[in-house]
Amino acid sequence: MATPKGGYFGKMLEVDLSSGKISTRAMDEQIYKDYVGGYGLGAHLLYKELPPKTDPLSPQNILLILPGPFNGTSCPSTRLNMCFKSPHTGIFAHTEVGGNAGNEFKWTGWDGVIVKGKAAKPTYLVIHNDKVELRDASKLWGKDTYETDEAIKAELKDDEFRTIVIGPAGENKVTYACIIVDRFRAAGRSGGGAVMGSKNLKAVAIKGTKAVPVANVEAYNKLAAEAKDMCSNVEAWQGVKRWGTAGLMEFANFVAGSLVAKNYQTSWYPDVEYLGAEEANRTFWKRHTACPNCPMHCMKLGVLRTGGKYDGLIAEGPEYETGVMMGTNLGLVEFEGAMKGIEECDAMGLCTISTGNVIGYAMELVQRGLLKPADLDGVKLEFGNAEAAIAMVRKIARKEGKAGALLSLGIKRMADKLGGDASKYAIHTKGQEMAAHDPRGFKPRGVSYAMGQQGGDHHEGNTPDGQAVFAWCCSAVTCTLATATPWAKRRPGIVCEMLNSLCGWNMKDEDFWTMGKRFITAARVFNIREAGISRKDDVLPVRMTTEPLPEGPKQGAVFTEEDTKKMQDDYYAYYGWDANGIPTPETLKSLKLDYAMEVTKKA
Amino acid sequence: MSESKEGQKGEVVQVTLDRRGFVKGSFTLVGGMLLAIEASKLVGPGLLFAADAPGKLKPEEMMKYLYAVREGCTGCRSCEYACSMYHNNGLVRPSVSAVHVKKYKNVIDIPMICWHCEDAPCVKACPTTPQAIVKDKETNIIKYIDDKTCLGAKCNKCIEACPSGFLRRHPDTGWPIFCDLCGGDPQCVKACQAQATDTAPVLSTAKKGFGVNLAYRNVNVKDAAEGLMQTLYYPNTDGGRR
Repeated sequence: MATPKGGYFGKMLEVDLSSGKISTRAMDEQIYKDYVGGYGLGAHLLYKELPPKTDPLSPQNILLILPGPFNGTSCPSTRLNMCFKSPHTGIFAHTEVGGNAGNEFKWTGWDGVIVKGKAAKPTYLVIHNDKVELRDASKLWGKDTYETDEAIKAELKDDEFRTIVIGPAGENKVTYACIIVDRFRAAGRSGGGAVMGSKNLKAVAIKGTKAVPVANVEAYNKLAAEAKDMCSNVEAWQGVKRWGTAGLMEFANFVAGSLVAKNYQTSWYPDVEYLGAEEANRTFWKRHTACPNCPMHCMKLGVLRTGGKYDGLIAEGPEYETGVMMGTNLGLVEFEGAMKGIEECDAMGLCTISTGNVIGYAMELVQRGLLKPADLDGVKLEFGNAEAAIAMVRKIARKEGKAGALLSLGIKRMADKLGGDASKYAIHTKGQEMAAHDPRGFKPRGVSYAMGQQGGDHHEGNTPDGQAVFAWCCSAVTCTLATATPWAKRRPGIVCEMLNSLCGWNMKDEDFWTMGKRFITAARVFNIREAGISRKDDVLPVRMTTEPLPEGPKQGAVFTEEDTKKMQDDYYAYYGWDANGIPTPETLKSLKLDYAMEVTKKA
Repeated sequence: MSESKEGQKGEVVQVTLDRRGFVKGSFTLVGGMLLAIEASKLVGPGLLFAADAPGKLKPEEMMKYLYAVREGCTGCRSCEYACSMYHNNGLVRPSVSAVHVKKYKNVIDIPMICWHCEDAPCVKACPTTPQAIVKDKETNIIKYIDDKTCLGAKCNKCIEACPSGFLRRHPDTGWPIFCDLCGGDPQCVKACQAQATDTAPVLSTAKKGFGVNLAYRNVNVKDAAEGLMQTLYYPNTDGGRR
């Protein structure tokens, strides 16, 4: 077993919450050479170690917390990746989050944590370098994410701990609950919070003081500096530095025609000017915030100065996705309500994208008379009613009353439960709510939503090879915004060069694309095994293919059957999958995924 | 919210925490900044950010003062990265970095730097003979002699004496970590300036100071954080939820 020369420590932490046993697992360098980390490694480990068809909310599910090789080194814009079987979609889930937890994790001297089992009572895990312990979290149970973070730091008497926490939504196993880092950053998609909650794991507190070994320090630091320069000098991203991704809200409405409004009923919403970056700049933003060593500082912190009900609210945002899903999608016109909704989601530990989708969906069902106020505990859930939306966020997090129980199911299960016409307005792919870009207005987004391996997510890549690049970002655990475009468009080989000097490997530039295909195919075979995913699932919701956009810059646009067919064919051809979306035996062999041969044969 | 505190030599140092006081403090800082900018004009940017030979500067080229305008910090920690890479064989390790960025309630980022105080309370507190830290008149730095002279983890005097709570211990050895201004060409400042392509840089240097460090060194993390809460997040000054 070879120990890596750099980038990795060659050992992972294995925590069995059922028995309280904490052990070290030595990791062979070869597995890192094949799967790198994050997305790729997570898909591989889940396939190998998770018994087929495991219930995602059972103690048998595995939560992998995986920083990548670049974390904690001079590489810019690194994040933290988590992989598990999703309780929301029943397939592979990878979720990434910025903030300080990823690098802090690496400095503890571990390559990641494998969390198994279920604790008998609420617990949190403390990792302080080699000292790892499980502590009682009974007093933290029920607290929101902000209080939990503060309480843990107070209990450990050290404010330098970084935390990964869940809120009430995760505790109550809402299947789209998220994991929160640094108070406002969310590992949002696919329900990682529910997996933590099902294991009675309230939080992970991390403090590390080690350094990540580097094989060739001089060469690596030079490349990392070049990579950082490429991140900061992308022309198109200069606006993101100033306005955050919220600046794209106005752009999506007035130029791209891909804004989402009123549960995808339209993409034309001129009132976006009361919700977007300009309004945030007037009444909310105070400063930029950045992830470690990132020149983008795309996040904005602010305090509401509107003099209204939520005057003095401190929050981070809005970003494009959160601003759209909790703003225009709910038909709001006042910034204050949208921002409170976003902040409430962060505090409750709910995925803002899915929550916004679910509430928007319920609002449309009310609009069409498919849901009555009696079904919603008397809450007047109508488009434009911010107070009702905020109240609903709290109800969902606690599964409170009839409304909370219904909306916490997520769109797919809600549509199944309600039956009838409800499924016509249900916007999801593979059970995952879509993320704030209308694929009718901007068709490449259709690839991300329909073809991505965890369902309707915006971080999957807009073209077949773009998905390979994004899978690389999530495997090397760098930011898809700050690094995917700057590196992939100009010099994808820089990732291989950086890994070579960091780990002492000798990868070639063409390995970049082979490995990208391997990551995606590894996730695909897991999905085939768990849920029989195939071509029939790689489609957009029916509204996208049947209802043309009623107004806006892309009026009349629709995602046609031909679009869908072409998208699928191109994608399968690029990855070497057959016409049904199943990887062929030759492909599996060339990608060293022979172990999945049995499963694909049956499909 | 103003309090008095017993300073060194028994003089009373006023620490103002109210909003107006903080704003006043900011003006002092701006004064220092202007001076720093003036100084940079005199010597030209080439000398200020000489990249080729750090640590081999002539005395007249050395930067003797380090400033931080804390309001603008994005919390990206490039300064920590640069500092630890320079002093730690090119490896990133913020736990041994001299400069460090403290988070407060996850809404404030405070870059903690050594102000290299004129009267150096840490030097006065050092109990060894000869002293393990001295104020270097030529370079203006508070100079750490070596690990042999310092008592290390057994002694806590300098850490207790530091009015801004800047000093920390090395996580492995227990010896205090001092800032050496990288021989007159601070790497943290370069990193901050390179990072801030479209915002005002937080860290800056100058050859001459104007008592700025004296005015600022008494502000510890908590006071600075509470002051910044007032400046940035008024009317929400406790950072709680609404």
